[in-house]
Amino acid sequence: MSHIDKIDIAARKKVAEIFHKKFSELSESIEKGSPPKLEIPMRTLANTVFDPSKGILKLGIRKIERNFLNMNETKKFMQTLLMASIIYQALVENEYPTIRDLYYRGKHTILFKDLNGKIKEENTWEEQSESDASIRDVEVMTGLLREDMLILSKEKGKVVGNMRIRSGNDIIDLSKLGHGAYAIESTPDLIEFLDYDAELVLVVEKDAVFQQLHRAGFWQKYKALLVTGAGQPDRATRRFVRRLHDELKLPVYILTDSDPYGWYIYSVFKVGSIQLSYESERLATPKAKFLGVSMSDIFGYGTKKAYLNDEERRNFIIKAKDVDIKRAKELMKYSWFHSKLWKREIDMFMDKKAKLEIEAMASKGLKFLAFQYIPEKIQTQDWIE
Amino acid sequence: MSAEAESEERIKAQEKYREMSIAEFFAKNKELAGFSNPTRAIYQTVRELVENSLDATDSHNVLPEVKISIKEVEAATDDKPAKYEVAVEDNGIGVPPNEIANAFGKVLYSSKYVIRQTRGMYGLGVKAAILYSQMTTGQPVFIVSSTDSSDNIYYKKLLIDIKKNEPVIIEEGQLLKRSNWHGTKVYLTLEGDWVRAKQKIIEYIKRTALIAPYAEIIFETPENEIYYFPRVTKKMPKPPSEAKPHPHGIDIEQLKAMVSFTKTKTMLEFMVEEFQSIGEITARKFLESIGIDPNMNPKMLIEKGNSKLLQVVATGLRTYKNFRPPRSDYLSPIGEELIEVGLKRLFNAEWVKAITRQARAYEGHPFIVEAGIAYGGNIIPTEEPVLLRYANKIPLLYEEREDVSYKVVSSINWKLYNIEEPMPLVVLVHVASTKVPYKGVGKESLSEVQELESEIKNAVQEIARSLRLYISKKNSERTLREKIVTISKYIPEIARSLSILSIPPDKWGTDGKNNNEKIIEKLVKIVSKSIELPKIDGKEEDPEKIVRSVIANVKLEQ
Repeated sequence: MSHIDKIDIAARKKVAEIFHKKFSELSESIEKGSPPKLEIPMRTLANTVFDPSKGILKLGIRKIERNFLNMNETKKFMQTLLMASIIYQALVENEYPTIRDLYYRGKHTILFKDLNGKIKEENTWEEQSESDASIRDVEVMTGLLREDMLILSKEKGKVVGNMRIRSGNDIIDLSKLGHGAYAIESTPDLIEFLDYDAELVLVVEKDAVFQQLHRAGFWQKYKALLVTGAGQPDRATRRFVRRLHDELKLPVYILTDSDPYGWYIYSVFKVGSIQLSYESERLATPKAKFLGVSMSDIFGYGTKKAYLNDEERRNFIIKAKDVDIKRAKELMKYSWFHSKLWKREIDMFMDKKAKLEIEAMASKGLKFLAFQYIPEKIQTQDWIE
Repeated sequence: MSAEAESEERIKAQEKYREMSIAEFFAKNKELAGFSNPTRAIYQTVRELVENSLDATDSHNVLPEVKISIKEVEAATDDKPAKYEVAVEDNGIGVPPNEIANAFGKVLYSSKYVIRQTRGMYGLGVKAAILYSQMTTGQPVFIVSSTDSSDNIYYKKLLIDIKKNEPVIIEEGQLLKRSNWHGTKVYLTLEGDWVRAKQKIIEYIKRTALIAPYAEIIFETPENEIYYFPRVTKKMPKPPSEAKPHPHGIDIEQLKAMVSFTKTKTMLEFMVEEFQSIGEITARKFLESIGIDPNMNPKMLIEKGNSKLLQVVATGLRTYKNFRPPRSDYLSPIGEELIEVGLKRLFNAEWVKAITRQARAYEGHPFIVEAGIAYGGNIIPTEEPVLLRYANKIPLLYEEREDVSYKVVSSINWKLYNIEEPMPLVVLVHVASTKVPYKGVGKESLSEVQELESEIKNAVQEIARSLRLYISKKNSERTLREKIVTISKYIPEIARSLSILSIPPDKWGTDGKNNNEKIIEKLVKIVSKSIELPKIDGKEEDPEKIVRSVIANVKLEQ
């Protein structure tokens, strides 16, 4: 089994032990004749709290009991245990299932007779949404993330820059990938940072802008590690960015469209998502800075001059839609958008009812975006936190 | 026939009573006795003979064995219906040889004026059947009978002389009895429409068997089909006994009849001797209240010119408030147990219950209402309950919607009793009385007598309340059983998952012991302990049995 790398094996062993211990507790309580139950931290908005000291969204202390003897919970109880057992089996047998694999591995038919003696069929689960929910249950129950359990998902995020990493048994130089980039693997915690020559991390919302900046040589010139989540970032990308910040002590700047959707992507990197608040502690980067594009970049503010002239504004600005207004109003409720600068930003948006795509800046000329707009913003500390 | 027309008929009938022989009257008014057409005639003939047979058995503490057979003896032609021989045999007390001719050949043959709860009143019906047979086929009735104590079996073939209302014996004889048989067998030949009557006759026999589960009944149809109802219990209802009439139930004609029969010499004696529940003090007070001399000879009442006096006494008897209520101990209800046995047998019902109410009276006539409800089993669910009506143990099959029981049962909101439509429900109502308040001369439906209606309502509702309790217990039991299935079906899956998780990572792939079975056992105990099934009819099932049977049937497909 020489092709299996050491990092993996160590990680598996640790996680498998946690599983075994956690579920042996249940077996022991059944042995004593107690009604079987699982304690699962609640994964709802009501149990999502913002931790101001850490600056992230976290799960609250509220837990639900999932009782085997409660008719309404008994199926989910079974599904959670089934999911735990197949993940455990994959761990000890050195496999790397995807969430789709787990769905198929667990899906089978239970044949039983109903009260009238009729044979009935019931599947352990029908939709992948059910098995995905079970994975989330197992995650919050064990306090482990799916990445820790070596469950793979589709790779979405990318990175380039002056840095060498070890992934599995290979050493990869992130500066020698040509026009391509390194796809951030599903298990970012198994990546080892070897050496680097960088001073900042720039995360761009859009893959196309990432490619443009990459080809323009932005990261070489400004000693940046250039990252994209290609839209809504996946867990691996967020974890990777967090590690860059924590372990390499690099500042993280986020560049998105100038609209409430872009702000929300920034928010996900910074504090975490509501749906996945239980992982924020390990995925969020509370010190990430919103570099732009900001409303004042478009319209100017006080002594600050706008980056666009009247004609450009006429050409590039898109009128905000009702959904944008609605989303902006929702964001105003979140406490981390209550800072003075964010209030100003959102107020301007509500006032102008205008949004701007980051591509507009690039169409002013790629050089403008890469070598004027971004560096100037960083240099003048023209960001929002 | 409207109720008004019927009562007019009755008055006419009473008038004619004086002018012509009663036999002649019946011969001319067949429909009054239920012989209006060939279909009703054959149905009515079976009914009269079967009721006579039951009266000859269960009323005398004999467990009935009744054999009924109908044979076609002449096929139908274009203008004449087919002829059938109807034979009914019982193991009853038999008729003494010297009484056979009058018992079967003289209409209104009666020795004594008493009241008694019998199936047929005064045995009128069977004579009507004989008359009908005689008129349509000219055949004599053939009677074979023997009493328990007799050494012989006697047989007689006879006709009725309609004008004279006298039996005419065609043939008679006797045979030495070689067995200990006793009972009566009657053969009648009549024109009838079997094809049309078939369903009603079968239904009639079924319903008779239902309330007489202590009887053995065999029925052979013209097509040689056999309907056999074996005896399922030896318990019989208390036979009805005779009683004197209650003054509240007396009309002027009855009073005249009683006065003419009585041997008493004074009105005081007449009151005390001929009526029930009247002592000397009550009699004196009553006579004083209507201004009658206690020493007056009762025969005075029927003397010419005294009709006013007769009227005063009759009205006084019906309206005087201080008579004791009528006795009911001579009524013969079927009893709760027999109704339940009968319902259970006929419908293989899931739940049955019957109730015999306390006796009540209307217009001086005591009556007892009994009701039974059968639920589930083989009962075919319908939009409204199947109603089985009985009066003095006779099934009533016609005029259902005219009947007071139908009025009561159809006005009940069964949803209030947790019974959903369509409902597998049978409601049985039996009214026992010395005078059943029939609506018409056809004696197929009961009038809306207020006392009767409220008794029927109370009886049916009381059982319906028990049924509601049963159904709600059953529903909650079903919910619990469903809960057991819902939970238990996952036990094997959970045990498998847990047994995998309980193998330590470093023991994986070695001969780590599999504790799958042990976990299943534990879970079975935990689930069983968590559920308590309600007691239904005193029985309680062990949840563990259900849990185990669910698990035994679970298969996990990979």
